[in-house]
Amino acid sequence: MKYALPVVLVAVTAALMVLGLSVTGQAGGTVGVTKGSALHTAKADTPDQGLANLLADVQRRNWDRAFADVSSSSGITEQAFIQDWMGSNGSLRSFSSLEGFDARPLHATSDEAQMRVRLHFSTPVGPLEDVRDFHLIREGDVWKAVWAKVQLPSIPAEVIPVTFLRWDLVTGGADEEWGARNIDAPHVRIISMNAVDTATGAVVMGEVTNEDTVPAFVTVNATLVDAAGNAIDEESSFDKIAHVLLPKQVTPYRIDFANLHLKNVKNVRMDEKATLVPASADPVIGVMNQRIETDVQGKSVLHGDLLNQGGQTVNIPHVIASFYDNNGKVVWVSDGYVDRALLPQSSQSFAVEIPKNLSTAVHSFHVVVNQYSLGKS
Amino acid sequence: MKRLTKFVPRFHFSLFFAAVLWLVPALNSYAADAAVEVQLDVKKAAPRAIEELTERGILRDYRFAWTCMAQALQFNTFDPLEGPFSGEAKRWLRQTVSRQQQSGLSHRYTDQNHRVEAVFYSPEGDVVELHDTAQYHLQILDGEKNIHDENVVVHYVVLMTPGADRWTIRQLQAVPQF
Amino acid sequence: MARRGRICAVMCLAAACASACRAQDLRVPDSTVAGEETSISTTGSGKATFYLAGPGVSRKNEVALGEEVRLTAQDLRDAGYYLAILCSETCRSASFYVRAGKPASLSFIVHPSRVPVAQNEAVNGVAFPFDQYRNMVLAPVNVNFQLNAKDASLFSRAVRTQNGVAWFRTASGKSAGALQVVASLDDLTTRRAVQQVASDPCNLRITGQRTKTGILVQTEPVHDCSGNVLPDGTIVTFTATGPEGRDTVDAPIKQGIARAQMDSSGATTISVASGVVMGNEIRVGAQP
Repeated sequence: MKYALPVVLVAVTAALMVLGLSVTGQAGGTVGVTKGSALHTAKADTPDQGLANLLADVQRRNWDRAFADVSSSSGITEQAFIQDWMGSNGSLRSFSSLEGFDARPLHATSDEAQMRVRLHFSTPVGPLEDVRDFHLIREGDVWKAVWAKVQLPSIPAEVIPVTFLRWDLVTGGADEEWGARNIDAPHVRIISMNAVDTATGAVVMGEVTNEDTVPAFVTVNATLVDAAGNAIDEESSFDKIAHVLLPKQVTPYRIDFANLHLKNVKNVRMDEKATLVPASADPVIGVMNQRIETDVQGKSVLHGDLLNQGGQTVNIPHVIASFYDNNGKVVWVSDGYVDRALLPQSSQSFAVEIPKNLSTAVHSFHVVVNQYSLGKS
Repeated sequence: MKRLTKFVPRFHFSLFFAAVLWLVPALNSYAADAAVEVQLDVKKAAPRAIEELTERGILRDYRFAWTCMAQALQFNTFDPLEGPFSGEAKRWLRQTVSRQQQSGLSHRYTDQNHRVEAVFYSPEGDVVELHDTAQYHLQILDGEKNIHDENVVVHYVVLMTPGADRWTIRQLQAVPQF
Repeated sequence: MARRGRICAVMCLAAACASACRAQDLRVPDSTVAGEETSISTTGSGKATFYLAGPGVSRKNEVALGEEVRLTAQDLRDAGYYLAILCSETCRSASFYVRAGKPASLSFIVHPSRVPVAQNEAVNGVAFPFDQYRNMVLAPVNVNFQLNAKDASLFSRAVRTQNGVAWFRTASGKSAGALQVVASLDDLTTRRAVQQVASDPCNLRITGQRTKTGILVQTEPVHDCSGNVLPDGTIVTFTATGPEGRDTVDAPIKQGIARAQMDSSGATTISVASGVVMGNEIRVGAQP
């Protein structure tokens, strides 16, 4: 009797170990959808397998094998292929890794096939998804991917004078007399606030402006308060705001309260904090060709191109878009990171999603670009 | 089994002893803080009215400052003065502690009761002036010898300014009357 | 006889006690000023230990009873409540207050450091007089406040301190630039600077012309309603709406003017905004 418990524990442990080892590598249940992160040893005798082999090698960064899965008719060098996957110029892609993929066949014949793949990347700013169409052809008895030639922006060498303003911050000594050192924090003001319920929880969104003449580092917090005046929850905008605001600049913000709904909320207490920060007005980034379209997955997205009009590389551009109804009220705020660096005098495309239930309510929109540049204060 | 029977009472005793060791300092600090009574009246604050949250903050931080001051002067240690004090108040308190360390004296403030009135609150809210009618029992000791033992009432003019996370006492000046 | 002896013994004992009780005593000054030397007189005979406890002081030394105990300027530099204690067989104590001396400095706090022009009650200042040892001067004194912009005096007022503090509040001037704020007390003067900055843009207007690469848009010199040019770095948002979609550029003002290059090739409507202020709209025809 006294040995019963240890025997049971050992038996259960053994059973779990057997179960864990036997389940590894199983694909999902959906027919026609290939799931990623499988170990590949199989021959690429089908388009699915050819694609799976390629992406598995990319995932493991086994570049020689991955490039061997690419058709020689692509006309691309291995270096360009690697750079296309790995990213360059300190872009977000350079810090990302392919975690997995979901592939779906679009069209297939005996000699060629088109597959649509959702690539799941893990990045320093969270998970990122990219949808890409792969063209595969049969070469002999194996299927290989045709890799589109990568068009790198051709930037002519030139000297671009930087004449935009730059602000530095001097903090001053520690032992100054009381009242001698006085630099006020920047004045920022929340100009709109809208609280809505969504399927995932409550969302508080709006816009905030820097009313001052110096740059401000801004964060916006919101506290949901019940009828008794007690705080239910407090959250911050995190990265759904352009934190560095130049004078008179306006940014949207969005604060998510997961799994909370507004039925118990009587009041929303807003708190904007601003501190002085060194900043530069360069580079100027234009947001061009903005239009709302339906993408290949049937989702409503705001497309556009970011144009770097300055001489500095923007390593990680971040797009934040506010959507307004016909009364000018902010009905949604979306954001998205561009995983390619924005080189000087060049452009990169972006897309941010609009929730399906709001696409008809959107009357206008406004896009701001947050920018992270390595080595910049 | 016999060993286990002997072990259990000893274990219970050790647990009790450890709990006492842990609880006593906690109770001590609670008692020290609980021994400082502060009543704050902000009705006369001008030109700016003191907001409710600010009032609570000033009350909390003023009480804490006096608790810390009592600890510093009783045990002749600088650490309690670090957070709640700034400017001149911090300077002379540190100097007092330093001189006490040299002379072997110490102060003991007990049964503190402070009736505090806010008389000035700046338009920007960055300085508040308080008038404190403080009643406490003051003992001065030379080593272990009690050389002074008295219930006193002292009037203090206090300036407090907001620090990073609390209000600090910048000026603490005793006066014969307000 | 025995009765007289007993009475005598009791009287001698009482006298001895009285004498012992009067063995040490001390007299403290009625009031004294911070940083001034003073002395405490003692009575009695023999030796005693003298203690002085007060803000910033904790003194212990042996004294001869009947002599004066000198208190140095350093002992009494901080205003406040002091205790003098004299101990031989028993201890006797006396308390006294040290008050602040005459004003020797002014702590002056002015807000804000930057203020938009022409705003009511936008600038305020608080002054505290202190003596040379940084004790608050609580006796009422007159503090003069002045606001000077370039060569013009915008504000001048004398305020008597109450509870050791004087304050003022006034409107900002109409012109951008440095505002000097002065607090003076007799021959003491403390200066602070406030930067007056342009307010929100007023009459924001743009012009545009087609170029080979698109449309070049620029604002007229951007002023506030008082005519002050908005500082460089202020963001102006240009929005161009055309057949290809919408283009927006957040361009900073340089030397009073903001410019942007928009890519649109078709007929385009361009609008401008800065902060919450909207400007005019212009229409530019399609590229020929």
